[in-house]
Amino acid sequence: MQMTWQLAARNLNRNRRRTLLTGLIISLSTAALILTDAFILGFTDTAVRSATRMFPGDAQIHQLDYLAERDEALVIEAPQARLSQLASDPEVVGYSPRVMAFGMISSAADNRATQVIGIDPAQERTVSRLADAMAEGDYLAGDGAETQLLMGRRLAELLDVELGDRIVISVHNQEWGGAEQALFRVSGLYDFNARMLDEETVFVLQAPLQTMLGVDDAVHEIALALRTPALASDPDLPLWQRLSDEQVKAQGWTTLMPQLAAMLDMTRASMAIIGIMLFLLAALGVTNGIFMSIYERTWEIGVLLAIGTRRLAVFRLILTETLLLALGAIAAGLVLGWLATLTLGAIGIDYGSMELGGVAMAEQIRPRASWAQYSLYPPVVLALTLLAAMYPAAHAARIVPSRALHKSL
Amino acid sequence: MHATKQRTASADPATGVVFETRELSRHYGSGDTLVKALDKVSLTIAPGEFTAIVGPSGSGKSTLLQLMGGLEAPTAGEVYLRGQAISSMSGRELSDFRRDHIGFIFQAYNLIPVLTAAENCEYIMLLQGLPKAERQARVESMLTRVGLSGKADRRPAQLSGGQQQRVAVARAMVSQPDIILADEPTANLDSQTGSDLLDMMHELNRREGMTFVFSTHDPMIMERASRLIQLRDGRIESDEVRS
Repeated sequence: MQMTWQLAARNLNRNRRRTLLTGLIISLSTAALILTDAFILGFTDTAVRSATRMFPGDAQIHQLDYLAERDEALVIEAPQARLSQLASDPEVVGYSPRVMAFGMISSAADNRATQVIGIDPAQERTVSRLADAMAEGDYLAGDGAETQLLMGRRLAELLDVELGDRIVISVHNQEWGGAEQALFRVSGLYDFNARMLDEETVFVLQAPLQTMLGVDDAVHEIALALRTPALASDPDLPLWQRLSDEQVKAQGWTTLMPQLAAMLDMTRASMAIIGIMLFLLAALGVTNGIFMSIYERTWEIGVLLAIGTRRLAVFRLILTETLLLALGAIAAGLVLGWLATLTLGAIGIDYGSMELGGVAMAEQIRPRASWAQYSLYPPVVLALTLLAAMYPAAHAARIVPSRALHKSL
Repeated sequence: MHATKQRTASADPATGVVFETRELSRHYGSGDTLVKALDKVSLTIAPGEFTAIVGPSGSGKSTLLQLMGGLEAPTAGEVYLRGQAISSMSGRELSDFRRDHIGFIFQAYNLIPVLTAAENCEYIMLLQGLPKAERQARVESMLTRVGLSGKADRRPAQLSGGQQQRVAVARAMVSQPDIILADEPTANLDSQTGSDLLDMMHELNRREGMTFVFSTHDPMIMERASRLIQLRDGRIESDEVRS
């Protein structure tokens, strides 16, 4: 056995260029797998953060039928008790009650159908990035005038309005069933870089919208920010049960935004396919490299077999060479992958204002390292490399000594 | 002048026959393209013989050595080593048979280039599972006997052709086989080196009784051989034992 290791190590050393090139294939594949996985993690983080923390939150609470019917009469009655419960829940780090209405907004120049959202400005800061998205003017002040209104810069262009201009909002009053109108002034313009929010939504204080809708102090939605956002993708999280009852239901973002969850699943599947194809190509390269090394010393293997080496021992010799090569190459690949992840994680990959699956990538994608990349992939790559070496090793073991030696015995 | 006599085949190990072939044939192709590389060759090799198999190219010399060494399977006939037929052996048994009973010397030396002279000799004993002390003692002794005691740590590329072939002889003998099959061992050597090598093998044969079978064109081998088997068209044309 010792001689097998010695022979294997020396055989690798005899043609360093080929060993280096074959090793490089394994190293680069390992690094590429790690980087791909790190990119998927970073992409998922960014997409989920962009989707949830931009405005919707990690989770939301609604009246049981609200999401299905979007009927403004389906409100969360007397939300104060629930808000107090949220304030004391250790899993919840932020919550924002919202009043949601569909209405018409009119400027002097034009009018558009939009979603009107009434918020508590202080609470909204704990969940969404509305305050951070302000581009001009001021964020809503809870103790300020009830006529304040925030809209996207893009919507302001469409309506041809500027800061201070008047806007009339018309919504459907739930008490008497007629249209209720009120005058607001544009106090701030924001940029989310997401079409839905920038062109089809305006924000006002909660109280005036509740009055216009005739829903007293009721709200339609309570958005949540969780201490551990990743937990929100778990449909069986105990928190959902804790916050749900016969009137309301709490749900995480994967249930609220199935299209985003599907898009991320698809992205992961695509990346996995790319990773598998990448490694299959690499495996072919490894197979080719080992075959070349076998062809180069066919006579030598013939000699080994002729003088009494068993075929299994030749098979084992080729696999041992591959094992040594792979161990070194994978170690180098891990370092390469780590450095690449670290570098790209620090620099970030800018997707600009690209919108994927209805989600604007609000920030740079930063590949993220995980233990699985360094504990799961190395044995997988090693196993696949050895698998790729099986065919040439079997070929070597089947060499007919008399043919390998040609005229010399 | 050499005295000559004809040998007859015998399968009885009691007669002291180390090797025997019976009606050994090796054919390639079929129909119009059938080539009878070896055709019903029967012979016996006794211990301590220094036998040269001679004949023109294509006469079947190398094929006979390949069949005797278990490197190829015969089309018909049988090879016996001390009365044991080798055709019934599995691949693994054949490997062990070659390891334990046959020593090979090849025309092109065919040493393992990444191993030193000593390691080339030691390798086969590792396969045999001999303990380290015995391996080292045998290697040292064998390299001394072939005149390479100071070159044990050199790799083949650091040795001359003659020295490499001496290592090959040492490798073939160190496992203490029943027979050494040498295929044109002097073909790649200059005449002086070839002569020295033959003297060395002849000496090992005379002193230690090692059995050698050569396939050769070399007159120097024919001159020293105790038995000369002439092959032509895959058949034994003559079998001459010299006293």
